[in-house]
Amino acid sequence: MPVFKAYMKIAKKNVWMILMYLGIFIAITVMFQTFTEEQEADYAAQSVSVGVIDEDGQEAAKSLISYIERTNEVHLLEDNMEALQEDLFYRNVEYIVRIPQNFMDRCILGDEKLKVTTVPGTYSGSYVEQQISNFMNSARSYGAAGFTEREISSAMERRTAPEVNLTEVNGNAVRDLSYTFYYRYLPYLFLCVLCYVMGYLLMGSSRGSLPDRMKASAVPARRQSAEGLLASCVIAFLLWAVCILISLIFYSRDFLESGKAAWYLLNTFVLLMSSLALAYLVGSLVKSSDALSGIVNTLSLVMCFTCGVFVDMDLLSSTLRKAAQFLPVYWYETANEILSDYAVIAGSVRSQLLGAIGIQMVFAAAFVCITFAVAKKR
Amino acid sequence: MNIVKIENLVKRYGDTTALDHFELEVREGEIFGLLGPNGSGKTTAINCMLALLKYDRGSVQVLGKEMAPDEYDIKRQIGIVMQDVAVFEELNVYDNIDYFCSLYVKDKKRRRELTEEAIRFAGLSDYRRSYPKKLSGGLLRRLNIACGIAHKPRLIILDEPTVAVDPQSRNRILEGICELNRQGSTVIYTSHYMEEIEQICTRIAIMDHGRSIAVGTKEELKSMIKTGETVTIEAVLLDREDLADIRELPHVFDVRYEDQCLTVRCTRAKHNLIHILGFLQEKDIPFGRVFSELPTLNDVFLEITGKQLRD
Repeated sequence: MPVFKAYMKIAKKNVWMILMYLGIFIAITVMFQTFTEEQEADYAAQSVSVGVIDEDGQEAAKSLISYIERTNEVHLLEDNMEALQEDLFYRNVEYIVRIPQNFMDRCILGDEKLKVTTVPGTYSGSYVEQQISNFMNSARSYGAAGFTEREISSAMERRTAPEVNLTEVNGNAVRDLSYTFYYRYLPYLFLCVLCYVMGYLLMGSSRGSLPDRMKASAVPARRQSAEGLLASCVIAFLLWAVCILISLIFYSRDFLESGKAAWYLLNTFVLLMSSLALAYLVGSLVKSSDALSGIVNTLSLVMCFTCGVFVDMDLLSSTLRKAAQFLPVYWYETANEILSDYAVIAGSVRSQLLGAIGIQMVFAAAFVCITFAVAKKR
Repeated sequence: MNIVKIENLVKRYGDTTALDHFELEVREGEIFGLLGPNGSGKTTAINCMLALLKYDRGSVQVLGKEMAPDEYDIKRQIGIVMQDVAVFEELNVYDNIDYFCSLYVKDKKRRRELTEEAIRFAGLSDYRRSYPKKLSGGLLRRLNIACGIAHKPRLIILDEPTVAVDPQSRNRILEGICELNRQGSTVIYTSHYMEEIEQICTRIAIMDHGRSIAVGTKEELKSMIKTGETVTIEAVLLDREDLADIRELPHVFDVRYEDQCLTVRCTRAKHNLIHILGFLQEKDIPFGRVFSELPTLNDVFLEITGKQLRD
């Protein structure tokens, strides 16, 4: 297989370029992943600084303080107007509650309301107010039922905060799994590497009188084409295998346990095919290495920015999204979104996913047809 | 035996006729020269011979069989050296020769031997790991030839292999072609350099406007024309009467006088130079340097077509 071997030798010359793009790809993935993780940290639980002036000091008052303390940071304060104003001004506390003397009789058994002071324009005070209101309602119920102060306190202590488990409607919470980012940025690598390598190969073999020399040789033209195609497929497959291997090294557990690994592999493989077909078209049109470099960068960046690779699809305008539908990467990302949104791929979700993958295959076939048409016209 | 036989070949590109009822016969063992100015149809003839081009009429037989794009048994016995250097810039000298050899020879060991031999033959031993971009024009041409002949073909077609090559490399290439012929290959050599054709070819076809206008050995071609000797003399003060008198000298059939340089063309005869110099001395016409040349292929072309080969 002389043509196959020659193609592989020429492709080997591009190993450093492939490694460079691989490096860029991994850097981009890590960068976006880190950026997103930092954003997710904004949703961490926060507690409010609550100042308490305990004038009562009895069981019920201590019970209230303990209740507030479960989710907030409590500071016991002296009844000093100037100091209190200063604490509020410097945001040492955001909310001050005053527990009056004889709290049990006046507020739990009686109708007197607790005096509170809050920083104007903050939402945190309302959360504390809700908690105090919850405590007071429960304590008043116990009081009305004839509970003593000690009994009310111990009853309030026993009350535990309800646990809430948030589950997405689609049964999945995997959007933040790291491998989804990895697979999201793969089109950039596939497009850059395949277009560049194929362009380099096809440009090299169509230079000057080389095609005539090949046609005059003892190897049939069809066999030459077949060997060239085989070499291209092998190169593409190796690239795919390396990418999958990297994902397995970095995310093996998450990825394999997700139950969607096969779908990811299929989606990336079909993307690989459409990228390879596009690379063949680019390679057959380009005549100089400078032009090749420009076209590869433009093509890959335009596709990645308009099809949801570098910019989240939700942030793209509807016009841009409509235009992007004429590019295979858009359908790859659509399939990727489905895979990251749903835990179980079945029913209509499965149909949508297969549709997106099928459209990528149609694109691959279209690129092959255009390449043949261009070759025939020449 | 005829290695190549072309009959009545017609090839048109739109309104332009590139080959006009072209005829050619190349015998086994010869170095056959196709001589003609640029655009005379040499490369088109070669491309038709290799079935790279479809033609409108006629027949092309190579190695006794009608040539067709899928005649791979015939192609296996042909080595082609294109006019433009046709090598992979991404492969080094060794890999390029090995690659083109592998299109004809499957056996790896045999191929290695042939590649080494071709490298030695082309004088590229010191450059086996060099890439084409690093080679000079002459070395590149030698690589181009090595790629075409590495598989030891029975018929070698070289299409203007010495274009833009320095004299040293040119001589080496020409010597190499003679060596290939001595080793048993039949060579078809196209060029518009008549000196090269004269130097190495055993038979020559002169082409013009897609036709073969004369075929034969160089002696046969030269004997076809009237010119037997061209005498050139630096002379001053020649007038019309003198030129008319020179034209009347025996065996003289053409006289030209430009820039104080007298060119006299004579038929094949003895003492032409003595007659002319005697006339100048008799008339007291001062003269300087004197040259006498036997006819060249350019003279052949000039007499047949009425124009210089390099026009």
